[in-house]
Amino acid sequence: MDSINIIVRSIFVDNMVFAYFLGMCSFLAVSKDVKTALGLGIAVTFVLVLTLPLNYLIENYILKNGALVWLGEEYKDVDLSVFSLLIFIAVIASVTQLVEMIIERFSPALYLSLGIFLPLIAVNCAILGGSLFMQQREFPNVSTATAYAFGSGIGWLLAIVGMAAIREKLAYSDVPKPLKGLGITFIITALMAIGFMSFSGINI
Amino acid sequence: MNRESNTYTIVYASVMVIIVAVALAFTHQVLKDRQIKNENIDKMQQILRSLRLDVPANAAEAKYNAVIKNAYLINPDGAVVEGSEGVSVNDPAFEADIAKDDSKGLPVFEAEIEGKTKIVIPMAGKGLWGAIWGYLAVDADGSSVYGADFSHAGETPGLGAEIVSSRFCNQFEGKHLFRDEQFTSVAVVKPGRSVSDRDYVDGISGGTITSKGVDNMLLESVGKYKVFFRELYSAQ
Amino acid sequence: MALSNKTKAVLWGPLNKNNPVIVQVLGICSALAVTSKLEPAVVMAVSVTIVVAFANVIISLLRKTIPNRIRIIVQLVVAAALVTLVSEVLKAFAYDVNKQLSVFVGLIVTNCILMGRLEAFALGNGPLPSFLDGIGNGLGYGWILVVVGFFRELLGSGSLFGHRVIPQLIYDAGYKDNGLMMLAPMAILIVACIIWVHRSRNKELQEETN
Repeated sequence: MDSINIIVRSIFVDNMVFAYFLGMCSFLAVSKDVKTALGLGIAVTFVLVLTLPLNYLIENYILKNGALVWLGEEYKDVDLSVFSLLIFIAVIASVTQLVEMIIERFSPALYLSLGIFLPLIAVNCAILGGSLFMQQREFPNVSTATAYAFGSGIGWLLAIVGMAAIREKLAYSDVPKPLKGLGITFIITALMAIGFMSFSGINI
Repeated sequence: MNRESNTYTIVYASVMVIIVAVALAFTHQVLKDRQIKNENIDKMQQILRSLRLDVPANAAEAKYNAVIKNAYLINPDGAVVEGSEGVSVNDPAFEADIAKDDSKGLPVFEAEIEGKTKIVIPMAGKGLWGAIWGYLAVDADGSSVYGADFSHAGETPGLGAEIVSSRFCNQFEGKHLFRDEQFTSVAVVKPGRSVSDRDYVDGISGGTITSKGVDNMLLESVGKYKVFFRELYSAQ
Repeated sequence: MALSNKTKAVLWGPLNKNNPVIVQVLGICSALAVTSKLEPAVVMAVSVTIVVAFANVIISLLRKTIPNRIRIIVQLVVAAALVTLVSEVLKAFAYDVNKQLSVFVGLIVTNCILMGRLEAFALGNGPLPSFLDGIGNGLGYGWILVVVGFFRELLGSGSLFGHRVIPQLIYDAGYKDNGLMMLAPMAILIVACIIWVHRSRNKELQEETN
């Protein structure tokens, strides 16, 4: 039950894009048509679901203050959290690299549609943001962390696909010249974010 | 030297990792004392805010030492744990983290404001996303709330995160923990609603789950001090 | 010593015609969420400037030695190390601000400006131009942040740097702080307005399609 709760909350209430502006760079750059947006959204969800639980385990069994206690009592005061950022980003970069190689090897078709986005994902703030929020929110176990990763990814996917759909229709609109392109995209993002805020009253 | 050879790449990566690790570990060691001091000052500010004293960080320590007269741990029966008295940052009351472990005892801080004794207790609970905590200051009668202060780890900005605002915290002034001889604590209700059998304050609109978390925290965390407060209350 | 024209362009370009945020669309991610008050916005701007400038210098110094295969990883490690340093220093000397910035300090690592400049500039240029490029881009990013923070704090809380600037008189006359400004979407809307003004003045930046 708790996991479903977390998934719904991370999709609607604390949406990565609309509540925290994470992953905005690729959100703005790759939301020109629905198909590519969907591809990137799936890739982001995929990498989030892989990296976040991995980072969760690293955080809780190696980095956190006292996390090394399973090695023996004398390690209970070891605090390696100063390295957490470094390790998280290294994990994300290597998982992305790994996923890219695996997909290329086993499914060239998927690689052609997804592969071009994978290098972009290593520096997508939503991925690192997910891991940092995980660290801050101290999830009780791996499955909640995974649920959070899945929800955040789907929330991001929903946002970018919605945006792309609106932008496809926008091609026919008469927008003031200085606002064309980037400006109007920002305004739409803001309006979508206001729309998403109405979910914040949800009580599950 | 061939830049693309495997050996070069591996040696390069290892050297880089070692340099970075040493540099970070060194900075962390150098700055650690200051960071711990900052954390302590932050905690003092929270305690002082619950006493309606909003002081800047550089004045917090002096004010804390002037206001807090005594601090100790109590066990659930309300009796003071032996040898736990002391107001300094290394004494058990200040060091205790009730969110993690309250088996050693529950911290109580005694403050003196304008000649009157106030009791400050810590609270810990869970909000929408993670930990929420706070301090509650109660008059010497063990029932009237003098002030409250709340903090959170990562609630939604503008919604749940509003529990730290003075608008929310100030509502607690003058509420009562006891009603008709019963420990009822203070309830947090949806803005506009009311409850008849307990004192209550308005929650945060849009921050329903966080408000509920605060409500739970007031019942459970404060509830652990029930016996302690009842003794003060009955002594009236 | 007068700066040559090229150096000037490296330093000033990002502040205006080549602004990383409103022209190149980089680095919006990690920072808009910290602009609800002016103070964290300023600290964030300074932190990003420092990190970009020094990461640029380090990568530029190392550029002849980095194996091409692990280029991205090396850049990320340098960036992450610098960011951790900044965050440690903030924790020690500006604890309050660090608390407000929370995870967003860490997110400087994935700020696209940082990786973008390392990849596009530092790998091909000497340390001094790289340093200036970093300063320029950091500031170009910073002023947007500060402008957004200024309007959000002024209209949302009626204060600047935490000091009340809108006189009580106006509140008595019925003025109210606009709570909407404190919420996330307004940051994006303000950036949209900045883009609008900027592009009306620089017509060559206007786009043809939506």
